[in-house]
Amino acid sequence: MTNYLIRRAITMVIVLFLSSVAVFAILNAAPGGPLDGLRMQNADRNRRVTALDYARLENLLGLDKPVHLRYIVWLAGDDWIEVLPVWFTGTNAFGEPFKNGTHKGILRGDWGESWRVAQGRPVLDVIKSRLGNTVILMSSATILSLLVAVPIGVLSAVKQYSTLDYVATTFSFIGISMPVFWLGLMMIILFSLKFKQWGLPYLPSGGIVSLRGPGAGTLWDRIKHLIMPTTVLSLLYMAGWSRFMRTAMLDVLHQDYIRTARAKGLVERVVISKHAFRNALIPLITIVTLQLSSLFGGAVLTETVFAYTGMGRLYFEALGQSDWPLVMGYLLISAVLVVVSNLIADIAYVLVDPRIRYD
Amino acid sequence: MDLHSETLLTMEEASQLQLVWKRFRRHRLALLGAVMLSIFVLAALFAPLLAPPVPRGANTTKVGLLPDPTAIDPINQHLPPGTKGHILGTDEVGRDILSRLLYGARVSLYVGLMATLGSESIGAIIGAISGYYGGVIDTIAMRVTDFMLTLPLLPILLVLSAMMAGRAPTAFARINYLIIILVAFGWMTSARLVRGVVLSLREQEFTEASKALGASDVRIILRHMLPNAIAPIIVNATLAVGGYIIVEAALSFLGFGVQPPTPSWGNMLTRVQDYMFQNPTLAIWPGLCIFLTVLSINFMGDGLRDALDPRMRSERVGGG
Repeated sequence: MTNYLIRRAITMVIVLFLSSVAVFAILNAAPGGPLDGLRMQNADRNRRVTALDYARLENLLGLDKPVHLRYIVWLAGDDWIEVLPVWFTGTNAFGEPFKNGTHKGILRGDWGESWRVAQGRPVLDVIKSRLGNTVILMSSATILSLLVAVPIGVLSAVKQYSTLDYVATTFSFIGISMPVFWLGLMMIILFSLKFKQWGLPYLPSGGIVSLRGPGAGTLWDRIKHLIMPTTVLSLLYMAGWSRFMRTAMLDVLHQDYIRTARAKGLVERVVISKHAFRNALIPLITIVTLQLSSLFGGAVLTETVFAYTGMGRLYFEALGQSDWPLVMGYLLISAVLVVVSNLIADIAYVLVDPRIRYD
Repeated sequence: MDLHSETLLTMEEASQLQLVWKRFRRHRLALLGAVMLSIFVLAALFAPLLAPPVPRGANTTKVGLLPDPTAIDPINQHLPPGTKGHILGTDEVGRDILSRLLYGARVSLYVGLMATLGSESIGAIIGAISGYYGGVIDTIAMRVTDFMLTLPLLPILLVLSAMMAGRAPTAFARINYLIIILVAFGWMTSARLVRGVVLSLREQEFTEASKALGASDVRIILRHMLPNAIAPIIVNATLAVGGYIIVEAALSFLGFGVQPPTPSWGNMLTRVQDYMFQNPTLAIWPGLCIFLTVLSINFMGDGLRDALDPRMRSERVGGG
């Protein structure tokens, strides 16, 4: 196991390195970019940006450096780049070699500053300010979905072709076919707009808390804002997970050892709970660990529809405004979480099922 | 092959198809799905005939009487449904909603079909090679597949589509770029599926017999392996079409997919929240179209699964 873990750790580092190179290359090779808007401003004579202004801005953001150097700076900082030979680094717009800067690079814990979304604030600060909201939303949706989806999945497998099974199947078909953002829009129309018109107690259409009015900022206010996004996400997860659980359970129920367990006279309840369910847990582990990365990454669509200021919406805003340091930071965190949750899943398989062995 | 065995062969095939059709027909929802989907496909194909023509004298950006889903009419903004000439009303710049829905159907179905075609073929090739040759090739291919399956799909598609689409010269090229990106991150399921089938076939006698007869690897894979995997591929492909339609809609909704003024069911929903008080019906139709199309495709896929291969299952874990 130790050997296996070491090997996995090495692969993880390589995968992370390669994916960061790939993402960085994609972001920086694209036409346009954060200064694109300034170029367009030139049409307006009063707000014209001179070539010198432009060069200064490029220099400020580090965009005058060649792409390979930009990556090195992002990774290891620019407080030492004068050491590098000029043929490697190239020169800036004025033909001078690049000077040392103040960035330390991601390897030394410096994630850079946001360019546009939260101008000048360190990326890590911006992410931290959004993380709490996302974790609350995602964990409540995940827990709620698991509590509903697992029993439904197990029951519809045990009582295959019963009414419950048909209802659950139909429900999950609808859930899988429903675009999550449209479901969100429909809920806003019904529970915020129409309920208000009809004089019923209505839910806020978006945001984290109310800014004014009675009860603004209280716990109940927060919960009211959470109800719709959580419901939308949970319905989506439940639709997929209950099917997944049903399939896994059916798979196990057709195994020989279940027949043996029944043949030796075990009560059906024990057969289901001790023999079948435990073995159907493995796919469940896959779901939960895959979910781990979205726990922090958030749900881009749901957060956008409900104007919920979490990580998903932050990423959407950063991408829309070409805020590369934020985009890189977000994608790096996601990549780390994916790789780590993969590892956690593999370890959890061993704990649940001793037949699985790595060596 | 003599005439007699030829007839036998065709008879055999016909009865096989009949059997599949018989089993498919028994699945009520699948039949309903097939009918609904046909309606959507016909609507998309005949969009220019079905869409109401641009009214004469309207202050449009494009002159003429042909139906034009991008024709702007600032005088007739937010017309309610049921207005003469605009059965479903108009949007915030006076474009006819029915026209946009009809032309949007073309985008959705085109993206769904092409992305499926691409990802299923690439997945089949990767899966077949991986399963047939085994060893290091198989290990690497499956590791990559496993890893890609765990990636957070939407953030990656968003960044790629934002970057690549900036280079597209035309709206149509942009849609095709989108399809390429979807294929690049969608081939994994079919690769796994085909690999599984090929792995089991590789060990059977007829493979050895083909080899002994001097058939090349390519021929064995194309003539003996892939035809055996066709049933699961068809089922998987049907379900994939629905998935791609939803992903395209999501990307377009967020503003990173099909760009206005080209109508797509997804981008028609982008700004509806700004007009929710004025015109809440704007939000209903495009989403309903996506939902009904995908639902009918999924019902069909379920029916095909029962008809073609009752033992097969394929479940996906959804995104957010």
